Amino acid sequence: MSRVINFYLLSYSIGSLKREKYKNIFLFVVISLLVALLASTFFLSNAMKSEYNTLIDTYPDIVLQNQKAGVAATIESSIADKLLLLDGVKNSEARVYGSYYFNHADSELTIIGVNMFTPSCSSFINDLMQKHSLHRGEILVSSNVKNLFNNYYYKEYFNFIKSDGSLKKMQIDEVFKNSKNFFNKNTLVMLKSDARDIFDYKEYEARDIAIDVANRDEVVSIALKIKRLYPHMNVITKEDLQVEYENLYNFKSGFFLTIFIISFFTFFIIIYDKLSGLNGEKRREIGILKAIGWRVGDVLNAKLYEGAILSLSGYLTGIILAFVYVYLLNAPLLKNIFLYSNNLLKDYTIHLSVEYETLALLFFLSVPIYIVATIIPSWKIATLDADEVMR
Amino acid sequence: MIELKNVSKEYEGGVKALNRVSLKFTEGEVVVLKGMSGSGKSSILSLIAGLCKPTEGEVVVDGKHISKLADHFATSFRRENIGMIFQKYNLIVDLSVQENILLPLVPLNLKNDELEKRLNRELERSNLVSKKDIQVKKLSGGEQQRCAIARANSNNPKIILADEPTANLDEKLSLEFIASLCEMKRENRTIIIATHDPLFFDLDFVDRIVEVGYGKIV
Repeated sequence: MSRVINFYLLSYSIGSLKREKYKNIFLFVVISLLVALLASTFFLSNAMKSEYNTLIDTYPDIVLQNQKAGVAATIESSIADKLLLLDGVKNSEARVYGSYYFNHADSELTIIGVNMFTPSCSSFINDLMQKHSLHRGEILVSSNVKNLFNNYYYKEYFNFIKSDGSLKKMQIDEVFKNSKNFFNKNTLVMLKSDARDIFDYKEYEARDIAIDVANRDEVVSIALKIKRLYPHMNVITKEDLQVEYENLYNFKSGFFLTIFIISFFTFFIIIYDKLSGLNGEKRREIGILKAIGWRVGDVLNAKLYEGAILSLSGYLTGIILAFVYVYLLNAPLLKNIFLYSNNLLKDYTIHLSVEYETLALLFFLSVPIYIVATIIPSWKIATLDADEVMR
Repeated sequence: MIELKNVSKEYEGGVKALNRVSLKFTEGEVVVLKGMSGSGKSSILSLIAGLCKPTEGEVVVDGKHISKLADHFATSFRRENIGMIFQKYNLIVDLSVQENILLPLVPLNLKNDELEKRLNRELERSNLVSKKDIQVKKLSGGEQQRCAIARANSNNPKIILADEPTANLDEKLSLEFIASLCEMKRENRTIIIATHDPLFFDLDFVDRIVEVGYGKIV
């Protein structure tokens, strides 16, 4: 009784791959590297998206930004009080925050201004202020920022350079644990008055207004009401931000699209080469096999094994390489592209975030296509008369 | 047992290899098809083996109209009944001797012991035991011919078709080949040899010599 899997046929296919070992090793390496490149990009972008989703959860429902000549400008803080009077608005806050470039360390710091006794629209700040207190001239820093300051001998004080070039000396008061979210790892917190001083805001100015809504279903209608009140200003909902972030790290964005196109262009060159036909030696071999009693199905099975062994091993190796590169080696080089070379964020450890759809997409775009490209030329030859093929 | 009924064969480009040929071969018979190159003798072998289909007429082997069989069934028929020995041996030169001998048995998915039994039998018969792991391309012409015979025999065929089997061999090796044919004859196999080598024309075990010329039986 014959067995279900024909191991002799499998062994023949492995032998056939070995006979063209240099060509097949090359194909294996190319497939592995293409899959590794795409999978690494996907793994990293998935991790980033997941970080952003966590971050967005801490964001206010609506943000109102002022614009002058199409560019973001400061906004009057008093608008926050006016917005509180709108039906459905739970809280509104004039926020003072911004990026500060620490040139010695080539790092971007995020300064967040707070009011000690007024609740913020950010759950991250509210949680922080429940545990720590702040006075004028003091800063709260994340442990990441503290380490950075220590490296440059700012142990107790840090000197901020204001826009007019003068220094503002601030005492490093307390250190808070790094947030789970990597985007908060470069944060330092101070009173709004100090932040205004550093960013050269006037007393009545803020960066934007954050608005929290009592009922999530009313976010869109309240955003519309605000837009009607301040038509020249920019109203951004949490949902808008989510879409914007997703697009940023989505495969549609330029970087991913470029990698995608290059990878698949390379892959399809291989496929095209395979589909363009078999060389004389391979044609003759199929003719011999048919002459000695191999059916078309036997020839195609052997080719199926060949294609499957090569593409599947290439795919699995590519995925393993991507895992090692992203999750064990922390994606050197590629991470810099995602994090815009911010030195503080370079310490960020990528958390495991695998979408099975991504793995399935890469599988279906590589393995079955390669197998089909291996089978079709052999099928074309195997269906001819053996006599004709050998002549 | 084998019958060609008014068979014609025309290849692509209008080359007419056979023109209304009728021939019969009985079981256990050794027949030499004699003729010049291009006379049509190889086409007769290809038609009997089901490697190609006649343009006209019928080929019947053991009561089966093999010229009308679909490719799948023609291949199965060939696998079970025919052993072919080609002029250029048609071995896969990168494979070892034993891999080549076992090649016709690969699709049968036989058990290991059965496979080994057949392999050892053919290796001993062809005197290639010591060379079984050597790649065919490293063998001499005579050894390659013996390997081709061993491969043709590995599936115990009833019919052996040999196409110009001694064209690439010297006289000594040709005589060795003839000795192995003689052994096959003793096993009551039907043997059809297409050749223009005079060595075959006065052999005592050859039952019949059929002369083919310009696609017809002369």
